[in-house]
Amino acid sequence: MPKLLRQPAWLVLPAILLLVVALGYPLLQVVIRSFTDPEPGLGNYTWFFSRPVNMTVFWRTFEVAGWVTVLCLVLGYPYAWLMTAVGPNMRLLLILCVLVPFWVSGVVRTLAWVILLQDSGVINKVIMALGFEKVRLIRTQTGVIIGMTQVLLPFMIMPLYAVMRGIDLRLVQAARSLGARPVLAFLQVYLPLSLPGVFGGAVIVFILGLGFYITPALLGGPRATMLSTLAQQQVLQQLNWGKGGAMGVILLASTLVLLAIAARFTRRRYQISGGSK
Amino acid sequence: MKRTAKVALQAGLLMTIGLAAQAQDAPVAGEVAEGSLAGKTLTFVSYGGIYQDGQIASLQDFVTKSGVTLLSDGPTEVAKIQAQVESGDVQWDVVDTGTLTPYVYCGTLFQKLDLTKIDTSNIPEGQVGECSVPAMNYGTVLMYKKSTYGDNPPKGWADFFDTENFPGTRAMPGDSEPDTTLVEIALLADGVPKDQLFPADVDRALNKFRGLGEDLIFWKTGAESQQMMESGEADMVIAWSGRAMAAQKNGAEYEPVWQDWIVVMDQLTIPVGVKDPDASYALINAAIGKRAQEIMTEQTSYSPIHKDAQPQVDELLQKWLTNTPEKVAMGYQQNIPYWIENYDEVETKWGEFIAGN
Amino acid sequence: MTRLQRILIWIFCAGVALWLVAPTLVIVPISFAEKKSLAFPPDGFSLQWYANILNSPDWSGSIVSSLKIAAIVAVVATVIGTLAAMGLAKMKAGPGGILRAILITPMIVPGVVLAIGIYAVYLDHQMVGTLVGYVLAHSMLAIPFVIIAVGASLAVFDTRLETAAASLGASRITTFFTVTLPLIAPGILSGLLFAFVTSFDEVIVALFINSPTLKTLPVQIFASMTRDSDPTVAAVGTLIFVLTSFTIAVGLWLGTRRRRS
Repeated sequence: MPKLLRQPAWLVLPAILLLVVALGYPLLQVVIRSFTDPEPGLGNYTWFFSRPVNMTVFWRTFEVAGWVTVLCLVLGYPYAWLMTAVGPNMRLLLILCVLVPFWVSGVVRTLAWVILLQDSGVINKVIMALGFEKVRLIRTQTGVIIGMTQVLLPFMIMPLYAVMRGIDLRLVQAARSLGARPVLAFLQVYLPLSLPGVFGGAVIVFILGLGFYITPALLGGPRATMLSTLAQQQVLQQLNWGKGGAMGVILLASTLVLLAIAARFTRRRYQISGGSK
Repeated sequence: MKRTAKVALQAGLLMTIGLAAQAQDAPVAGEVAEGSLAGKTLTFVSYGGIYQDGQIASLQDFVTKSGVTLLSDGPTEVAKIQAQVESGDVQWDVVDTGTLTPYVYCGTLFQKLDLTKIDTSNIPEGQVGECSVPAMNYGTVLMYKKSTYGDNPPKGWADFFDTENFPGTRAMPGDSEPDTTLVEIALLADGVPKDQLFPADVDRALNKFRGLGEDLIFWKTGAESQQMMESGEADMVIAWSGRAMAAQKNGAEYEPVWQDWIVVMDQLTIPVGVKDPDASYALINAAIGKRAQEIMTEQTSYSPIHKDAQPQVDELLQKWLTNTPEKVAMGYQQNIPYWIENYDEVETKWGEFIAGN
Repeated sequence: MTRLQRILIWIFCAGVALWLVAPTLVIVPISFAEKKSLAFPPDGFSLQWYANILNSPDWSGSIVSSLKIAAIVAVVATVIGTLAAMGLAKMKAGPGGILRAILITPMIVPGVVLAIGIYAVYLDHQMVGTLVGYVLAHSMLAIPFVIIAVGASLAVFDTRLETAAASLGASRITTFFTVTLPLIAPGILSGLLFAFVTSFDEVIVALFINSPTLKTLPVQIFASMTRDSDPTVAAVGTLIFVLTSFTIAVGLWLGTRRRRS
């Protein structure tokens, strides 16, 4: 066999080719169109940043992704911890509860939320049974956040669990035996050790949240639109390739900037905790 | 003599052939030749829900007889047609559209129709366009929740804008395709005299809607409007009559206001560049047939456009038919020619309004 | 930790577990509704929506299309992804790391951006609604999952086994098929599964590139949700939910049994 073929790089080539054709080229098209359609220049970008409605949607997208990340963390952290602290059968059940929604398609789960959040839906029935006023949830930002939190929660729990599983609990015990109160032992020992998981999960959820399409499109009304939906409307409903493209580029750029920041932080973290692996 | 006879014979023959050919060609609404489309596939595009279900049901006879495979797709979006036409890869063979679009995009997105291929003789006058034939007539009505308004229900469009006397959430169409009649309605509600409506002040009309503030919500598809009534989400809903009826059928406690209900006509079109125009014509010709129109009405409550159609309707449906003399008298007819002329402006401003600007 | 704290955490986590699983269950009663409505709670009982899955060409056709596309994608992505993972495992850390990062990018590019680009390219090349179009896009999206899954297996794979086989005179091809492949098979299998599911669930790109003649199940579900109030969508969702839960439960159960024995 020719020596050249033994180079590992050849094995990667088909994958790279596929990526160039199906990812690189299309993305290039989006970028090009954002600068050339309908006419060459920065028109689409000045249009985007000069229109209040676009900016509202832009910030709303970050706001929603932020809320979803925080909520996922609050719900996911104790859950992931419990997964490490129980016996194997219980753990299996807890994992199952995470995996089932992870694998069941997002469209189906969003359908469930449409039914739950509607005005005569289950949630409002409970709220009214408790003696409160009926709340409008569907086609509101709150509704979108509720639905997205549930759809994205598994993406938070899995990295958390992966990191927490590796934490040596004897460290916490050592701290306790040295007289640290439980809260202090948690804050000073366990929490810092679990931070890579927190960070990983938060970055994944936030990035997925920024680009989320299905749930906001189905749960949010025109007034709870997010950037993805706006870009889709520009292209599919108005045929403004340039404007839709510019929104896409802005969305992509935001994602990349966030990832770059995240990468810097994680590198520093690994340097600090270097060797623990 | 011999020569003359020959000529006469030839002429006679030609005439016979011509007549035969004509007899074969002249279409009769609702008829299709046995097996004429066997092996072919047609994609019919409409707005979904009970309307498209009804349309497909009305075409069942056509499908069985012609042997065509009928696919349905949707909802109708002008941009999707434009993308298909521009790329030269047209996949929608017959498209059901709103009132204005076939006129606005006649010749660019929709083919100018060859009316020798469709039998339009039974369609009421004035409804056949250069690029479209009507699919049916229906209404857009104001629906209100009975439990909210009790003894003092809204009586007309002005009450839709009156949040003081009629508090509550109201829902309106929020599709990117502008509902130009609602622009007229809003202007009238804002006090513009009927004879000074045009040229229409679109901004003023949209501001009237903006004035509803947090009380106003939008639906994007007919399904959503139906959902809003079935779940009781909004106290007033501007809805298509078929969807409103479907909601009532499913137990929604809403009632229509018929005063100044908006007369609407859906249309059938053929996009430019379809692969087999004759098959598209055959479908349209079948859809406007007498029996097909009856079936469509029986399933949707939308009014037939075949003048002899006698749909068998139950009590609920009877209430929703819009072609009865009383209803016709109460209907509101928009200024179609004006809006075709001024479509760009209203489309842009409407789009901004829907997006929240 | 005090008893009370423990109990509180248990209650909290039970709530989270419920929050993860229970909402989806709401579609089950809707799927047996009698009327064509998504209102909750539904009235009556009928199996008509399950029958409709089989009878309506829109539903049955899209299910068949989805299965077909996902199966092809699973094979294509697994072959290409496994090769790439093996190449990456043999490469030096520096260039290997960069290549790896590049190959993972489909996971982080926002779906809509990708969909717009792919739609633009497909319109130009008449690939909208074609099998090749779906397979190309979905395989690209599935590659990262395969690389991660197979890469994980390769990370714990002892390369000395390959060297041993080679020193005993086995050719590279023989070594691959008799030593390497069986050992990384679990990774490849989970890569295959991931690729299948990625394609089967993918909706954003599919929403842009579908055509009436070839559309996938998620597109049909999305279209039905926006266009109709049709409980068939709940029936399909229920079937997906039951099949998925069952598969995962069996998988987990088998996994633990093997580990214990």
